[in-house]
Amino acid sequence: MIKITINGKNYKVKEGLTILEASKQVGIEIPHFCYHPALESEGSCRMCLVEIKGVPKLQLACSTPIKDGMEIETENERVIEARKAVLEFLLAGHPLDCPICDKAGECKLQDYYYKFGLFEDRFEEEKPKRDKLFRIAPNLIYDQERCILCTRCVRFLREITKTGELGVLNRGKESLISIYEQELIENNYSGNLADICPVGAITDIDFRFKIRTWFLERKKSICPICSRGCNINIHFLSPSFPFKVEKRVFRITPEPNVKINGYWICNLGRYNYHYIDNDRILHPLKRNGELKQISWEEFYEDIGNKIKILIRRKKEEKIGVIVNLSLTNEEYETLEIFFNKCIPGTEIITFGKKSGKEDNFLLTEDRNANRKGAGKYRFKEKKIDILKFLNKKELVIFFGHEITEHCNIQLLSEALKDIKTKVLIASNKGPLINLVDYILPSTVIAEKEGSFTNSQGITQKFYRVLEPLGESRPEIEILTSLAQKSGIWRNFLMTRRAG
Amino acid sequence: MTSMIEEKLLTRNLEVENLYKIEIYQKYDGYKALKKALLQMTPEQILEEVKKANLRGRGGAGFPAGLKWSFVPKDTHKPKYLCVNADEGEPGTFKDRFIMTNNPHLLIEGIIITCYCVGIHTAFIYIRGEYEHVAQRLETAIKEAYKKNYLGDNILKTNFSLNLYIHRGAGAYICGEETALLESLEGKRGHPRLKPPFPASVGLYKCPTVINNVETISNIPIIVLKGGEWFVKKGLPNDGGTRLFSVSGSVKNPGVYELPTGTNLKDIIFNYAGGMKEGRTLKAVIPGGLSAPILREDEIDIPMDCESLMKVNSMLGSSAIIVIDDRTPIIDVLRVIVNFYAHESCGQCTPCRNGTWWMKNIVHRICNGYGKISDIDNLLRIANNICGKTLCPMGDAASMAVRGVLEKFRQEIEDYIKKR
Repeated sequence: MIKITINGKNYKVKEGLTILEASKQVGIEIPHFCYHPALESEGSCRMCLVEIKGVPKLQLACSTPIKDGMEIETENERVIEARKAVLEFLLAGHPLDCPICDKAGECKLQDYYYKFGLFEDRFEEEKPKRDKLFRIAPNLIYDQERCILCTRCVRFLREITKTGELGVLNRGKESLISIYEQELIENNYSGNLADICPVGAITDIDFRFKIRTWFLERKKSICPICSRGCNINIHFLSPSFPFKVEKRVFRITPEPNVKINGYWICNLGRYNYHYIDNDRILHPLKRNGELKQISWEEFYEDIGNKIKILIRRKKEEKIGVIVNLSLTNEEYETLEIFFNKCIPGTEIITFGKKSGKEDNFLLTEDRNANRKGAGKYRFKEKKIDILKFLNKKELVIFFGHEITEHCNIQLLSEALKDIKTKVLIASNKGPLINLVDYILPSTVIAEKEGSFTNSQGITQKFYRVLEPLGESRPEIEILTSLAQKSGIWRNFLMTRRAG
Repeated sequence: MTSMIEEKLLTRNLEVENLYKIEIYQKYDGYKALKKALLQMTPEQILEEVKKANLRGRGGAGFPAGLKWSFVPKDTHKPKYLCVNADEGEPGTFKDRFIMTNNPHLLIEGIIITCYCVGIHTAFIYIRGEYEHVAQRLETAIKEAYKKNYLGDNILKTNFSLNLYIHRGAGAYICGEETALLESLEGKRGHPRLKPPFPASVGLYKCPTVINNVETISNIPIIVLKGGEWFVKKGLPNDGGTRLFSVSGSVKNPGVYELPTGTNLKDIIFNYAGGMKEGRTLKAVIPGGLSAPILREDEIDIPMDCESLMKVNSMLGSSAIIVIDDRTPIIDVLRVIVNFYAHESCGQCTPCRNGTWWMKNIVHRICNGYGKISDIDNLLRIANNICGKTLCPMGDAASMAVRGVLEKFRQEIEDYIKKR
């Protein structure tokens, strides 16, 4: 620890930090554009200039390491004037098209202008006209007019993905970011470029012109697309939005977590959010010739009774449960209590989503969010003859559609025909919909509270971001209610308390 | 003061025909200093002499060469490099070309001694792209030197080896800035690097690197031959030796003049360069390349050394003297200045990229007859906002050059704006 003085106050901070990092630790924000904690300092935006006592020139906070006894001024007149000057230069070459810019509301240029700028416009020359629709990736548009050349994007592709698709072309005011001829950025992390762009120069086609950012709220969650467990922010429509919109979630961005995902998420996790609002099962349904809406109570009564009777007849092995690998640790615990402990003899098998390709960075082969957590409660995927398992069952309960990835749907359909009661608990519509008699809407991860254990073995808690859609309920709630009606309630409660 | 008594160091023997050929160069004591250095002196002794010589960098910043060399770490396992900055881009400067064309072996000899002194085995000459014929002449000279075993393995049968390469730039002013030069040499875009770390510790390919101007290195042989104390007497006590002044503009005899550091500017123009062209009178002088703030005609009775020019808020820079006569409207000078810096700004950092461009726009508007008196203050304000806030010294250069013209010739520009 070394002693430094910032704006007249003494602080003790860890050695080896830069002025910007040290200031941040003690709660002093130094404005910056080109600095990014995950990238090498470039020192080109000149926004973070601060005064150090005894040094004649203003110094860069982003790259100057602190020294014992250093006296730093981050808010005095000289520093503020320098910031204003940099802002004025940036704005002089900027189109000021905030009314049609998707970054408006979360743009650093805007924020800092409100904080340090607010000067009169002394720029009387003509603004340069440039390409505003330059496609640099299948999912990204680059606006040459808005670019402030912080080169965060260039450095991200050089230092993080090590693919280097972007570079700077031309010189001076003519400088611009560009791809090499027609070679678009095609890596799985390109979406991050829109996040790290401090202005609206790189925008995401998925998000462009969909909603103004100030109508969005954001809450932390965990990405369920693979077993990495990247920390994410779900951006959803604020309840204060005056118009009715079917869509709730508008984008996913990374939430920094140095241990797991750093500052990034992959494109798969970023763009796979439409399932939260689309193709959802909204109400409990029962097939009686055709599918009809029923109440949750009716379902609990029906299935509770079925379980009760099977237990009384000592035919527990006639109950088959097919578990997936995307439930929370708490749900696996409840499943374990419900079936393994309270109804011993129930047959349980586990199926996850099929593996995909890993990309040697964040995306893992395993596309299931909680295989590690399921494993702790002995829900493990095994090679098994599904048809043999289904043979002579009287009640099967499916959690999710995952099983259909592992068997021929035709054969499955045949095998299910002889089973009296088939229940599907799932958040979204899928291939099993047509094969079962009871369809129960469960919540998606964003509507749940619980925890996942990722592939590294780190258990992460997450909280409810959105209200459950329609009548959907979390699996843990469905299981608990079902336990009440299945004649195992006392046992269930006691086991849970003991656990 | 007359030209009779001036002793030539760099331009000695220049009247000799074909001096650029190694045989002729050797005939006139060429590579004698190299032999003395390699066979009779230790690297420490050479460094001591260079320090005693108070040899300051001739590229523009005027940093003492001996001090620069001593910053290179001695106990490093990394290779060390010498980069000779021959990217002579400062407008008005043509002294390095003069040396390289007329006496390339002087530079090569200097390079070899420098490398021996600092412990370097690979050296580069980064020459500006426009100097094609100069590069060719250097190539030939290097080949000759290899043949005579002044370059290559075991030079003069000692265990010192050195390889020397020429790298041609692609014509960017910024690549004369030492760290941008390194980036360019590494094959990247010529963008200046953040300092620290300084090239002496982290330079070319992240290895310790010495970067010196052509003229600086060319002074090394004579320092080795005659000693630092002798050398320092040829100039000023804290700024030894002579300087090559590139005189251009409205004088009778423009050209390169080798004169002691501290020679009076007025004397250079009116005595050595033959005075103003017929029928012209002196209006202003840019004393150290375009980046040096302009001097009015009444300010030029001044010794040409770093300190004296600093006192009048200008600088010696690359000691390129641009003489401007009364027929040149000062707005044209200003336009040339802003055009140059807007064109040559590398675009990396905000104040220089946008500031030079903004200034260019304003000056062009003034030239097109749409200027306002308030534009002058706005230009001054922009120049002030660039100064001291950029990543490399080029922003300061642009700012000082513009400020100089505006402050010294405000009345003329105001009159120009009003007239249009």
